[in-house]
Amino acid sequence: MSSEAAAHHDDHTPSYWSWKRWVYSTNHKDIGTMYLVFAILAGIIGGAMSGLIRWELAEPGLQVFNNGFWGNSHNYNVITAMHGLIMIFFMVMPAMIGGFGNWFVPLMIGAPDMAFPRMNNISFWLLPFSFSLLLLSMFVPGVGGDNGFGGGWVMYPPLSTSGHNGPAFDLVILSLHIAGVSSILGAINFITTIFNMRAPGMTLHKMPLFAWATLVTAFLLLLSVPVLAGALTMLLTDRNFGTTFFDPAGGGDPIMFQHLFWFFGHPEVYILILPGFGIISHIVSTFSRKPVFGYLGMAYAMVAIGFIGFIVWAHHMYTVGMNVNLKAYFVAATMIIAVPTGIKIFSWIATMWGGSISFRTPMIWAIGFIFLFTVGGVTGVMLANAGVDQAFHDTYYVVAHFHYVLSLGAVFSIFAGFYYWYEKIFGVKYNEMLANIQFFFFFVGANLIFFPQHFLGMAGMPRRYVDYSDGYAFWNMVSSIGYVVMLVGMFFFLLVLVESILLRNTPKRRPEANPWGESATTLEWTLSSPPPFHQFNELPKIK
Amino acid sequence: MKFLRDKNTRVLTICLAAVVTMVGMAYAAVPLYNLFCRVTGYGGTTQVAEADTGQVLDRTVEIRFDASTDHSMPWVFEPVQTKMTVHIGESVLAYYRATNPTNHPITGVATYNITPFKAAPYFSKIECFCFTEQTLAPGESMDMPVLFFVDPDLDETARLDDVRIITLSYTFYEAESDETNISSAGPDRGTASLD
Repeated sequence: MSSEAAAHHDDHTPSYWSWKRWVYSTNHKDIGTMYLVFAILAGIIGGAMSGLIRWELAEPGLQVFNNGFWGNSHNYNVITAMHGLIMIFFMVMPAMIGGFGNWFVPLMIGAPDMAFPRMNNISFWLLPFSFSLLLLSMFVPGVGGDNGFGGGWVMYPPLSTSGHNGPAFDLVILSLHIAGVSSILGAINFITTIFNMRAPGMTLHKMPLFAWATLVTAFLLLLSVPVLAGALTMLLTDRNFGTTFFDPAGGGDPIMFQHLFWFFGHPEVYILILPGFGIISHIVSTFSRKPVFGYLGMAYAMVAIGFIGFIVWAHHMYTVGMNVNLKAYFVAATMIIAVPTGIKIFSWIATMWGGSISFRTPMIWAIGFIFLFTVGGVTGVMLANAGVDQAFHDTYYVVAHFHYVLSLGAVFSIFAGFYYWYEKIFGVKYNEMLANIQFFFFFVGANLIFFPQHFLGMAGMPRRYVDYSDGYAFWNMVSSIGYVVMLVGMFFFLLVLVESILLRNTPKRRPEANPWGESATTLEWTLSSPPPFHQFNELPKIK
Repeated sequence: MKFLRDKNTRVLTICLAAVVTMVGMAYAAVPLYNLFCRVTGYGGTTQVAEADTGQVLDRTVEIRFDASTDHSMPWVFEPVQTKMTVHIGESVLAYYRATNPTNHPITGVATYNITPFKAAPYFSKIECFCFTEQTLAPGESMDMPVLFFVDPDLDETARLDDVRIITLSYTFYEAESDETNISSAGPDRGTASLD
């Protein structure tokens, strides 16, 4: 398990089986590994929930939530709300920022560890508690006699205030507060690390793009999560202490929650995707055997996306009755995001152009990402139009759009990064054939799930309903079959993990420091796989 | 190392200050949002005036009156007149009638706006029952006055030339009190799930 190289470098490497190593951990690589394991577990739970959703929606009528074991249609709403919250806060964010960010930001910038290792430990260990509270909320009363919070991940009042009188939503608030503290502490850690601990000679303009992506993401977290915390606290006091921030009877306005929520919520969706942008840049460059096209443009495109992400929030709420001039502003500002995003897409393509491309597993995932993210981006430009959105708001067209950019975009980039760094993280090679089969099932399955949802949305099928009219039956069935295909892919993913654990001692699986060749130029490839427990005791010098 | 530690502490402090500022901004949004609506007439927020301007134009607009109540508010609430035609600048008195059909006193508070929203900066109320809470005894019925005028500046603005009808709308909520809080938290207020 513990590689000989690591043991050789540093005699203080604790055993894998010592619980103190993990609970007291201040090592960025160990904490990163814990984040990744946490994200996989949360992803399995959140993915199982989407299975219940697709099972229910496979046919018209009530299949699953028919007052039987799985409860009634309120429980369907609970499952969709929890699916969203889990996938965002407990799967994508821990994997991208906590997992890959912790592992590779210090390695890439040539730092021995994060700036505040103990704070890093707290950031991680807050998450299991937060997650437990969220799961617990499903089993305490939400509305009347029904358990759980069924108000969607957006948690709009009055459904989340007077509409849910039980304690379930209070647990959700507490859970998200803790997750928010965890994210903010993590963000501060990344900002400090990147500003103060870069190796000598590594200027910001020489810094790898993944570190750039994490830096921008950390700033987005730092500025947006406190607003969510504020809005959630207002919900909490509205519910329990008689304030009326969102209650018209006391002079409040429920629409204001939507403004506050989306001021957080829109940067949040960039928080979910920006680290993926960084990962994809490295992979495309490595497997095209070329430096990334337009490095500075790539870095500043992310900065621009981050900045513009803060001034477009009301495009999520075109239907609240805002006036046409305001809509015109939000339409224009939203569409401008397509410019820096286009710079990134075209730069990836230009990186591949004329390159000597090898279609290894991470590259396949990366190309899949570029294609799927572009599809999601195009439907995003559609939805940016206030007039069009009037019809598409809260239909399955929106569901299809954000799953293309997140469920396919962000998740594909996570898998791309996972297979890119697998050897580096776990110190064992994986079976490329199995991983490629997983890609095949994921690609076919995910498209089968979400592409038909465009048709359903255009035909007017609304989100967040447990049932639908018979006219939507066909494409819903196709979508549910897609889920089964993706589920098969998920089994191949677990197979990859199990197979590589079982065969870890065979010579074929012995890790290399740099399996990808000389086009993998970032500093993590100069270290052994897995890296020594403490690296860069002598700081690397960057020319 | 000492040097790095100082630098880290500085970044940490700045970041924490940013976090505190953003939480503060979220709360500052509450009064700012309120102020913004009042100043711009956003969402149809009407203006408050001491008296009319004394200037009355020939141009008329039709004022329509709309009334509704929150689902938990038992009052019967309706306008006395459904519409009236007024000259721009003229002070007009209109009435709404509210009845408390229950056998306990109820205090209500009304929210209000007008459509079209763009006319809101020019719709001024001098007196309105909506400025304060209203209490009705069991079975009591009350005519509630609103004294308003349409600001003559409306006529100067080309963007508002198409305004022929202004709808004045009120919604009565039960004002929060300790007893009502308990009753409104009862299971009967559970919101729609589909079953």
